[in-house]
Amino acid sequence: MAAVTTPRKRRTLKQVLKRLLLIDLFKGLALTFRYNARALYEPRDGGNPLQAIYTEQYPKEPARVSERFRGAPRLNLDPENGASLCIACDLCAVVCPVDCIEVGSIRREVRDGEKVNKKKVLTTFIFDTSRCMFCNLCVEVCPTDCLELTQSFELAVYHRSGFRWDREMLEKGINYVRYTK
Amino acid sequence: MIGLITTLLFAAPEWVRTAITRERQPNVFWSEYVVWPLIQILIVLFIVLTVVAYLVWVERKVSAFMQARLGPMRVGPWGLLQPLADGLKLLLKEDIIPLKADQGVFTVAPIISVVAALTVLAVIPWGAAWATISNINIGVLFVLAVSSISVLGLVLAGWSSNSKYSLLGALRSSAQMVSYEIGMGLSIIGALMFARTLSLNGIIEAQQADGVWYVLFQPVGFLVYLVSALGETNRAPFDLPEAESELVAGYHTEYSGFRWALFFMAEYTSVIVTSAIAVTLFLGGWTLFGLESRITPMAFSIVVAVLFVLLALLIAWRGVVGEPPSVMRTVGIVAVAIFLLLAAGVAFARPFDAQSARVLFSVGVFAGKILALIYAYMWFRWTWPRYRYDQLMALGWKWMIPAGLANIVLTGIWYVLALPRPQGVFGLMREQAGRLAPTGAGLAYFIGTAFVLTIPLSWALLATINRRTRDFNLAEQRQLQMRLRRERLEKQLQKGSQETEQA
Amino acid sequence: MTEPTRTAGASHLDLDEREHTFLDANELVLNMGPQHPSTHGVLRVILKLDGETVTDLDCDIGYLHRGVEKIAEHDTYAMITPYWDRLDYVAAVSNDLLYVEAVEKLLQVEVPRRAQYLRVILTELQRLASHLLWLGTHAMDIGAVTVLLYCFREREEILKIFEDFIGARLTAHAFRIGGFWWDAYPEFEQRVRAFLKILPSRIEEYETLLNANRIWLQRTVGIGIIAAEDAIDLSLTGPCLRGSGVRYDVRKATPYAAYSDFNFEIPIGENGDTYDRFLVRLEEMKQSLLIIEQALDGLPEGPVMAKVPKIIKPPVGDVYHTIEAPKGELGIYLVSDGTGKPYRMRIRPASFINLQSLKKMAVGHLVADVVAIIGTLDIVLGEVDR
Repeated sequence: MAAVTTPRKRRTLKQVLKRLLLIDLFKGLALTFRYNARALYEPRDGGNPLQAIYTEQYPKEPARVSERFRGAPRLNLDPENGASLCIACDLCAVVCPVDCIEVGSIRREVRDGEKVNKKKVLTTFIFDTSRCMFCNLCVEVCPTDCLELTQSFELAVYHRSGFRWDREMLEKGINYVRYTK
Repeated sequence: MIGLITTLLFAAPEWVRTAITRERQPNVFWSEYVVWPLIQILIVLFIVLTVVAYLVWVERKVSAFMQARLGPMRVGPWGLLQPLADGLKLLLKEDIIPLKADQGVFTVAPIISVVAALTVLAVIPWGAAWATISNINIGVLFVLAVSSISVLGLVLAGWSSNSKYSLLGALRSSAQMVSYEIGMGLSIIGALMFARTLSLNGIIEAQQADGVWYVLFQPVGFLVYLVSALGETNRAPFDLPEAESELVAGYHTEYSGFRWALFFMAEYTSVIVTSAIAVTLFLGGWTLFGLESRITPMAFSIVVAVLFVLLALLIAWRGVVGEPPSVMRTVGIVAVAIFLLLAAGVAFARPFDAQSARVLFSVGVFAGKILALIYAYMWFRWTWPRYRYDQLMALGWKWMIPAGLANIVLTGIWYVLALPRPQGVFGLMREQAGRLAPTGAGLAYFIGTAFVLTIPLSWALLATINRRTRDFNLAEQRQLQMRLRRERLEKQLQKGSQETEQA
Repeated sequence: MTEPTRTAGASHLDLDEREHTFLDANELVLNMGPQHPSTHGVLRVILKLDGETVTDLDCDIGYLHRGVEKIAEHDTYAMITPYWDRLDYVAAVSNDLLYVEAVEKLLQVEVPRRAQYLRVILTELQRLASHLLWLGTHAMDIGAVTVLLYCFREREEILKIFEDFIGARLTAHAFRIGGFWWDAYPEFEQRVRAFLKILPSRIEEYETLLNANRIWLQRTVGIGIIAAEDAIDLSLTGPCLRGSGVRYDVRKATPYAAYSDFNFEIPIGENGDTYDRFLVRLEEMKQSLLIIEQALDGLPEGPVMAKVPKIIKPPVGDVYHTIEAPKGELGIYLVSDGTGKPYRMRIRPASFINLQSLKKMAVGHLVADVVAIIGTLDIVLGEVDR
């Protein structure tokens, strides 16, 4: 592959004729006209790169969100007893580059059958979605798979205070939607 | 507008009228020159302004389809109510006048623009017979004169905004519009030679009589007119006065709300006007291969009914079939029913008499031709990049104006050669109804010379003129100027130091 | 206009001053930006105009300064990676690659082959995405709006692949130190191959619209010429350097990731003008397609994550690492003092250094050309201001 070629200074007869007949301009026109014509008769299937119209009508049609998408945070509960999976280890808060997580905990005696363990128990969990940059680091360090970034992405609220999600909101979650491909 | 002024003059008290025009007219002119023209003006203004609003919608749709998008879809079916929403929004917007702007001029500028654009509508031959507001005998001249006033609006807007971007935009637009007006004026002269009249309706009738569209006699003229019209109306690829990526919005950077909408209206109105002139001069105006004089009320009713049915089918195809039940679908079904009823009504009642059928048909033909040209304008806009300021000037002065001049000269030569025997050589024209018309062989002669001789000859001329300017490089030129200036200054300084030494 | 008065024994300094005042009579100072449609972000260019000709210009940058280099001194090595996404935010994956490779060099970690191949695929896709965005905005600056929408359509396909693989579209946080968090999803190869099938015909479409178009040629040929020597002196890198005819590409000069395994060409220009840079980038896109295809064909099986300690504490030392980012040569100088946080991180931004040539390229041209030249430099203000 040699150097990219720029148009030569001396023109051949063919080039002169092409220039005279405005071929370069008409080729562009033909391309856009093809798109225009195809847009009129082709069925509209948003997001298909092979069709003339690519628009996805997002609020009208559901958005296509991939399974690994990192969106709204959620604190998972133990499916068996409904208790929080969080062990208040504070790793997520430590690893967060923007300090958007605050974990509140107390040390409490927890009865586990016969034994009595002194154990950290989660009290509050504040997640500031306005600062979060959805980098997934907190999810990756979570030892109990409690914290998770879900597929919900519609996080807009009318007031700034709405960005501070407390534990209840994180556990209950906003209207979580499950997207499949 | 002149039509309006004269009619108002006739409606004035007799002593005023006689004082100004020194002639006496009976009062029957009340109906002929006041009431009817006012009705015509209202109809034309209403239709044109509605069309202007919908041209914005069409432009957005066309551009969207060319760009793999959908365009406006939310306000009404397919976004059909978008112009209404836009207009309402612009009306209700805060009216901002910059603090340091020249308030009076700032307010007047958009009005000048829009008035200049709308005034021209008075002489446009929308159709045969009564479908023209004022058929003055200097129509072409009037159009050129009045439409060039609109540049004043742009210049004043740019200057009074007291903003550098606006000022640069205004400078560009004044230079551009003045330059391209020349090309435009030159390009139409060839067609006027054949028509031998400046009346717009007269030109159409001449084409009707000759049985040919003047685009065949005047391909070079038509091309030059098309390009100049693009430049004149500030449409891409010549939209430098408002080049978004360079000057933000050019002369209307500081405008918002309805003042801005006025500029927009002026722009689209002038697009309609220039297209209308192109159609009139080169594309046969409201004629369509003689059909316009032969159409019967029966045939016309069927044409209208078929159009309604096609519309209904389009709505059914795109809006009803396959749509899930919704409000829009109900609206679509109602619309289909209404259009089918209209079609049936027109087909069976046939509400047109012979003349109104002919006139309405001619109006439809004219509108169709204008829309085709406007589509081409949009097509160009969304395909090609934008010229640079100096390239635009070069194109105007070194290509369009010489091409227009060459076209005039060559057409003149072919015309004189074809005159009837005593004066001419070939004698391919004959006297017909008080004007010279080409014979059958003459038609072939004029079309042949235009395509075989005029195009290559004018191209050769242009190529010769522009041979040395092909690799025109502003940077080099600029550096050369700087070097020369530096050398001159150095020389002066040397002289100065020599003088002091001598002293 | 009065002629400058003559004074006895004037030096060259006086001459320059005089010429300056002489020019000042016609000058207009125009602030282009920081809010301007075509300064690609918050760049402020102060133009001195004579008519519409640029006689002088100055860039005012820093509107987007966030102090990433300083932030890095307070964060652990893993926490810094997402900040790199936000430097050149239209080529986040390439930035990530540079950073994680630098840390891996410090740690002396060997990244599995599969991870390296996947990294190449993703960074080349990112190069395509970045070039598509550049082409679209560059064409729009010159007035061809339609190209923008076409380019964004293809870029959207790449972003969809990213979203499925990485979980985010723009600021991806694609790589972790040592490899990947996720392995490729099952249909990944098939999706990328489908995209590779589409793109060549789409590049042809852009070429139809632009390459031979006389207006495009008039607007780009001979605009913003920079000679090879000047380009080297100004330390230009990437397509801006190659457009001037210097065959230098970090992928070939000092191969990183798995680039030494693949065959590809380095396209270079002849004249160093805007048109040549345009052609070079288009050709680079085609070469990227070849690289991706080779990487997909040879994609090995195996793990995607190396054995990396949970808490990253590189030994005392420093490392300089560069990659060929879409904008040019992106470099990082990383000093470790043995703790969990870097002692110093220094970025060599490609856009910032390329932007310094704006004055040399644009003086003497028209305002419209300044827009074209800013476009051809392909700057991203996130990277310029850091």
